[in-house]
Amino acid sequence: MTNELVDFTLVSVALLGIGIYGLAVKRNFIRMLFAVEIIINAANLNLVAFGRFLPHSGGQTLALFSIAIAAAEVAVGLSLIIVAYRMYQNVDIADFRSLKG
Amino acid sequence: MLEITSTPLVLIAILGTVGIILPIISVVRKEKGSNSFYAVIAFAALIASMAYVGYEFLNNNVASSALFSEDVLVNDAFGGFFAIAMLIVALFTTVGSFNYMRKQNSPAVYYSLILLATIGMVLVAYSTDLVMLFVAWELMSIPTYILVGFMKKNPTSNEAALKYFLFGALSSAIIVYGISISYGLTGSTNIGEVIEGYSTLDPSLLPLGLLSVGLFIAGFGFKMGLVPFHQWLPDTYEGAPSPVTALLAAATKKAGFAASIRIIILGMVVLNLDWTLALGIIAVMTMTVGNVAAIMQKNLSRMLAYSSIAHAGYILIGLAVAPHSSLGLQGSLYQIFNHAVMKGAAFIAIAGIVTTLAVTHIDKLAGLGRKMPITALGMIISLFALAGVPPLSGFWSKLMLFGSALDASSALWWAPWLAIAGVLNSALSLAYYGWITRKMYFEGETEKRVKEPKSIVAVMIFSIIFLVGFGVYPEPLIQFVEFATPALSVGTMP
Repeated sequence: MTNELVDFTLVSVALLGIGIYGLAVKRNFIRMLFAVEIIINAANLNLVAFGRFLPHSGGQTLALFSIAIAAAEVAVGLSLIIVAYRMYQNVDIADFRSLKG
Repeated sequence: MLEITSTPLVLIAILGTVGIILPIISVVRKEKGSNSFYAVIAFAALIASMAYVGYEFLNNNVASSALFSEDVLVNDAFGGFFAIAMLIVALFTTVGSFNYMRKQNSPAVYYSLILLATIGMVLVAYSTDLVMLFVAWELMSIPTYILVGFMKKNPTSNEAALKYFLFGALSSAIIVYGISISYGLTGSTNIGEVIEGYSTLDPSLLPLGLLSVGLFIAGFGFKMGLVPFHQWLPDTYEGAPSPVTALLAAATKKAGFAASIRIIILGMVVLNLDWTLALGIIAVMTMTVGNVAAIMQKNLSRMLAYSSIAHAGYILIGLAVAPHSSLGLQGSLYQIFNHAVMKGAAFIAIAGIVTTLAVTHIDKLAGLGRKMPITALGMIISLFALAGVPPLSGFWSKLMLFGSALDASSALWWAPWLAIAGVLNSALSLAYYGWITRKMYFEGETEKRVKEPKSIVAVMIFSIIFLVGFGVYPEPLIQFVEFATPALSVGTMP
């Protein structure tokens, strides 16, 4: 296993693909949330990998910010899911369809 | 370095302090249900920020639009312009919530979230660094997820919040991915250096540069409601509390445009321009889909949600032709400002209708012109301004936008078609605005007048004065827009 930049970017692209697949196929809200998180982490991996090959630490800084913000975002998302679960006893987004037209 | 008295820092200080103190006060007072107390504090904070932005402008402490800076924030006219537009909308939302949110629990948290979201939007417009832009973007988004789902007992509000959250989280993930690629290509997160890095990009890396701009378009496009990314928008606007919808439609959408002007348009200019056609196509699709879908709606919020999609399309015309016509960005900024007031007023009018009559179905609006004369008048004025009927303010901005498309026709053969599509779409939109007008004024029995909430009336009167006043005498607003428009020439490169 080499330690080149391209390896990291390939992993990152693979993660991006997994995330998009998850969003497109899954209908469980928590799984879709995971899929989004995987995309964010793919981007973080990219940032850290690029930052490693550059003379300054901008990429790592942004990755830290992004991790912290993603945590806040997930907290909000999960709280919304809890409210929804109390109402529907379910986290399947196919069941949330009172709004349409 | 930014001075400590520069506008963005003072705005953070005022709004942030009040936004954090509000929940603390509510914990200390241990008293529930005093909605108006917190609303007044939030209102005062917003007015103070607005006064400070205005004061800085009047004292000429604001640099003309810089677009680039070595700092993470820049105190320029472009940011100030958006700050004023967003503060107006935040004021609308605060005032409009006076009556609307009266029966909800925890009012302190509600107003504090509005203030925090406002800081985020304002900072998006001021930021010149991708890290700052991303943090501000999230500071804008995360409070609005909660605000949309604020009515916890209401299934539609919750469903709207879930959909909004999912698409919003996806959009920020896409933005981080775009940032990561542009960072990898140019080795910097400062927007000026990124743009400079793009202009000297190795040709073999050009596809990656285009990919990052594409990711930015997708990420910001979710918030702006551009057409392939608009599915969440009608649901969210319909389900959310109406004052919050005003905040979403009139302010967060504009933050998306501010960010895309700072990044995408400049990136396009440097990466050379095959993107203008793509943006033009998105613009035409967005307005057509928005208007055609709006005609078929029966729910007032949902109809205005689709019309707000259509308006994103009009604004995009200016961005698409921006590299070839100096009028393009001016028209966009003008339309952004007008749209903030018009859409804000329209959704606050809906909030008033919902509070007093509890209806949003269009058939039930019959006779509203007699039941709630001022609300109905404000609604009609903003709807006709949205359609671009002279002599209202919306007419001049549309004129400038379509004029910019014609202006660019010497460089882009397809640009006049944008203007034609825009005019046809405006005519189409008159159909459903006219339908609402007919329902309100020419149908129904002779209903008695009901009491209108005073706060809603205040918003209506302000927006009627704004739209008619700047429609009859648009000169000051146009000068302001010209001052705020960044010059898009190679000379502005760092």
